[in-house]
Amino acid sequence: MTYDTSQPTLPTSHLAGVETVLARTESICPRCRRVLDARLLDREGKVILSRTCPDHGDFEAVVYGDTERYLEIQRFDKPGEQPLERQTEAIRGCPHDCGICPEHAQHTCLGIIEVNTACNLDCPICFADSGAGPQQHGYSLTLEQVESMLDAFVRAEGEPESIQLSGGEPSIHPQILEMLAAAKARGIALVMLNTNGIRLARDRRFAPALAELGVHVYMQFDGFDEATQVAIRGKPLTEEKLRALDRCAEAGVTVSLAAAIEHGLNEHEIGSILRFGVEHPAVTGVFFQPVTHSGRFRADSDPLDKLTNSDVIEAISQQLPEWFRDDDFVPVPCCSPSCRSATFALYDGEDLVPLPRLVDVERYLDYVTNRAVPDLDVREALEGLWSARAAGGSGPVAERLDCVACATGMPPELREVAARGFMVVIQDFQDPYTLDLQKLRKCCVSEITPDGRLIPFCAYNSVGYREQVRLQMSPGNGVRNGG
Amino acid sequence: MAAEPSPEVGELAGLGELDLDGLLGVGDVGACCATLYEHPGVRWLLGDELHPGGEATTRRALELVALDQGDRLLDVACGQGASALLAVRERDCEAVGIDRGEAALARARETAQSEGLAGRVSFQGADAGALPFPDASFSALLCECSLSAFADKARAAAEMRRVLAPGGRVAISDVVVDSVGLPQALRGPLATIACVGDALDAAGYARLLESAAIAVVAVESHDAAAARLAERVEDRLRGARLLGLARAGEMVELARVARRAIDEGVLGYATFSGVRA
Repeated sequence: MTYDTSQPTLPTSHLAGVETVLARTESICPRCRRVLDARLLDREGKVILSRTCPDHGDFEAVVYGDTERYLEIQRFDKPGEQPLERQTEAIRGCPHDCGICPEHAQHTCLGIIEVNTACNLDCPICFADSGAGPQQHGYSLTLEQVESMLDAFVRAEGEPESIQLSGGEPSIHPQILEMLAAAKARGIALVMLNTNGIRLARDRRFAPALAELGVHVYMQFDGFDEATQVAIRGKPLTEEKLRALDRCAEAGVTVSLAAAIEHGLNEHEIGSILRFGVEHPAVTGVFFQPVTHSGRFRADSDPLDKLTNSDVIEAISQQLPEWFRDDDFVPVPCCSPSCRSATFALYDGEDLVPLPRLVDVERYLDYVTNRAVPDLDVREALEGLWSARAAGGSGPVAERLDCVACATGMPPELREVAARGFMVVIQDFQDPYTLDLQKLRKCCVSEITPDGRLIPFCAYNSVGYREQVRLQMSPGNGVRNGG
Repeated sequence: MAAEPSPEVGELAGLGELDLDGLLGVGDVGACCATLYEHPGVRWLLGDELHPGGEATTRRALELVALDQGDRLLDVACGQGASALLAVRERDCEAVGIDRGEAALARARETAQSEGLAGRVSFQGADAGALPFPDASFSALLCECSLSAFADKARAAAEMRRVLAPGGRVAISDVVVDSVGLPQALRGPLATIACVGDALDAAGYARLLESAAIAVVAVESHDAAAARLAERVEDRLRGARLLGLARAGEMVELARVARRAIDEGVLGYATFSGVRA
């Protein structure tokens, strides 16, 4: 209105060339992988990780696209929890003792087992360096190996809730169903198959078999444009992806879509992927992952010109403003707050309302600002929802959404709608350029190795563990190799 | 800070049962308001903010009346006493709150008791049109988001003046409308209890206060806070509609119209500060 007499606000824009040190941390040299002191800088409103290797020079990478938000979300930092068992000792120092070592500050919410290295695609972005062609080094685990890895996970976690079988392309492993069943047999509630969907599309019997086991499908789905698919996956796949999803819907298999988002490539498809997911009967969630520059993808790309979580969140709000705002996405507090943000949304076929607009989620998940938490049961349920172990549509998630609804007195007939909450996750994994060891020490997603170690995901992909395991497991290295 | 249970989704259930028509049919907007703002469902819709900006707007109003030790504040239509309690807690003054909602007053007294403030703040049932206090018994007065809903605003203003000592300071925070541009949808009874339907324009409030011999010193806009509150209410009503609650659809539309009106500048929220002549 015209009589506004409020004070002019202080300028918040960042002056070009002026840098502020936000924090000190440690990182590695992307070339020789030695540990280096590093600084987190604010540069023109973005958070930059900066360090210097005495042999290889300066390295900088953008780790969060919005400094203000980065600072604001640090309050969503839940104190870490102890695993029941640690597999390695701290000898060389982080990140070279992974296993989990005694210096690690978090247990594992989500375990990943890569059952093979072979694939039926040759994606240019593959961080696992898998492929369909002949491989110099490669492996395929036996059922017994996978069982012993599952047992290692159970020893570390007691009652682990979530596991993902991945690859390579796990669906082409001849014993994949037995492996999934072995995970289920250990009482793991959410067993996920991370797949490109090709077998689901081509093999009519596969989706019903997954349905029978109660497996949740985590399917790569990067958009609809042919150019996107060719750049990310090597060839157009939309038709097969859609067929795979329809097969899942028919069989009653729930699916999370996992979209790799690359700067300048498919950012513009973020809104249409999300809308498609919300409307598809099989899809219960979408995971957006800014592409990491690990493995073979764009080794020459500029780490200062990379998408981060804040960029994806902004793209969602810009492309679907009728559904989402930036502050609907609340950081997941078990890992480092800048690793992962999530929301749940209620949808009735017409309107969509994010859960944080109905329940003050921030109030429950803020561990720093001293505010009274109204109900500890609700906090516990929300912690289980805003977690790396959660996937929309899964049993545990439905139970927790029901708990939030129930503890707040919602009548039973309405709770059913709430329990169908659609999950949206934005998760940024680290690569050798963006690796922040303080963040890494709170990582709660672990790669389980055949020798029973639990290696934090971003260490596995950035520090050399992946290559080490692959070499050990390859034929001719004295390790039994099945499949 | 006291751990006040926060009204959450569940309270929505009761919203469908709220007899708005019955309340409106009585024709007593004041009574209707008092009942409505005590309702847990309505409190859930509004969140912690019963008026735009919540505590922040209240703190600013207390600054404008330069409330200090030794002052005696009257909070007209105090609800559950949040602002009177805030004043006593942070400004070291004494305060009295009046309201027509007995349940809200009971809650206010409980909070005062539990915080050990009962010696400095009290709450009583009273009508703004007939304040049960002698002339010149307060040095400052606060009235938030309520004057607009009073049927006889001139009388309320005259009462405010009467109970204030000469030189007493006033802060009135309320909904401000552009009486020409306000959409028809925001002129109905439902809008009235939402403090919109019977609100005045900025000049109207100024005239009202001036004619009660209260000189207006400053007007501060809180339109941005109003927009945030309207958006929050709209979101929660959308949730309520999606969950299948009666009348939520109608209320979503009203909230939407209100939000647009704020964007267009025909609806807003402001604090008028003044001095008793």
